Amino acid sequence: MANLPQLLKKDVQRLDGALRDFIGQTDATAALIIDKGGFLITHQGDSSQFDVTTIGALASGAFMANQTIAALVNEPNFNSVYQQGEKSSMLVVNVDEHCLLIVIFSASIGVGIVKYYATATIKRIAHQLALARGRNPEGGLDLSALNVADSESIFKKKK
Amino acid sequence: MAIINQATKELQVKIVYYGPAMGGKTTNLVQVHDHVQTQAGNKGKLVSLATSSDRTLFFDFLPIEAMTIKGFKTKFQLYTVPGQVIYNTTRQLVLRGVDGIVFVADSQYEKMPENVESFQNLVDNLTSLKLNIADIPYILQYNKRDLPNAAPVEYMEYLLNNNEVQVPSFSATAHKCDGVFEALNMITRMLLQKFINQGASQQA
Repeated sequence: MANLPQLLKKDVQRLDGALRDFIGQTDATAALIIDKGGFLITHQGDSSQFDVTTIGALASGAFMANQTIAALVNEPNFNSVYQQGEKSSMLVVNVDEHCLLIVIFSASIGVGIVKYYATATIKRIAHQLALARGRNPEGGLDLSALNVADSESIFKKKK
Repeated sequence: MAIINQATKELQVKIVYYGPAMGGKTTNLVQVHDHVQTQAGNKGKLVSLATSSDRTLFFDFLPIEAMTIKGFKTKFQLYTVPGQVIYNTTRQLVLRGVDGIVFVADSQYEKMPENVESFQNLVDNLTSLKLNIADIPYILQYNKRDLPNAAPVEYMEYLLNNNEVQVPSFSATAHKCDGVFEALNMITRMLLQKFINQGASQQA
């Protein structure tokens, strides 16, 4: 599995720790780390009210669309996207080449404080992700138990 | 690139449905959403970012949790791209992080130039992302086989599957759910096989 990025338990614990600290500092509702391909990596906060998988997919698309607009207007980088709402607001911030931080927070909270504390949080997240990428985990996911010849067992159609 | 999360015991995989406009990409996802057997809570909502006339504007998105392998949940994220030529930048965005591709071709004779153009567009867009189609599992789905002006499968194979290594291809009538699950299961099987091979090469 050398080609697959793998996150170990300690990676996710440290990422979650960074998000919890960030939420404590900003009183944000929820914070998510996503891959720019749309995968949700981890999240913290009160996210039970949200479909975080879909938010991850949509936010990555929106962020990447803004990056493309940046290129069209000769801006080297739009590194965040901010959406202000009546009840909730959202900030999507670039973490590194591969990942984004999404913050959902009450509209009563100023975006300035969220951006301020996000800066340090992003560094912590990027550092941990860099460690994970640089590692060659010994314990890969052994899929050999799966009989891939039996493709019918993967997705079944309702009768 | 698929993500393995050892902490949450999840394997996340991204499959993109690609092809010419009005070829049936969104219909594939709708049929999967409507007909897939899953345990409660394992199927997410089908999200469509579409125009007022139901043409895909950005993408359709369907998350499904398929099975557990040795304690790992496998989560599949199915995307479509907008087929219309003007949305090429959007197609490039959706392809980011792709693990496997279902190319949905329109079987109607008059759509053959669009099929070929769209396939070349796929190759070009992967190249722009520094990816090579030879390295990414993909299959061909020849959709709309129920139409009277459908071209012979052999002709479509000649046009679209004429490389040194031929990929699996399926006839389909997506709006009747024919060939939809066959294509999805095959690309899934190829993806898992690729991961197993990567694991084996690492252990060697």
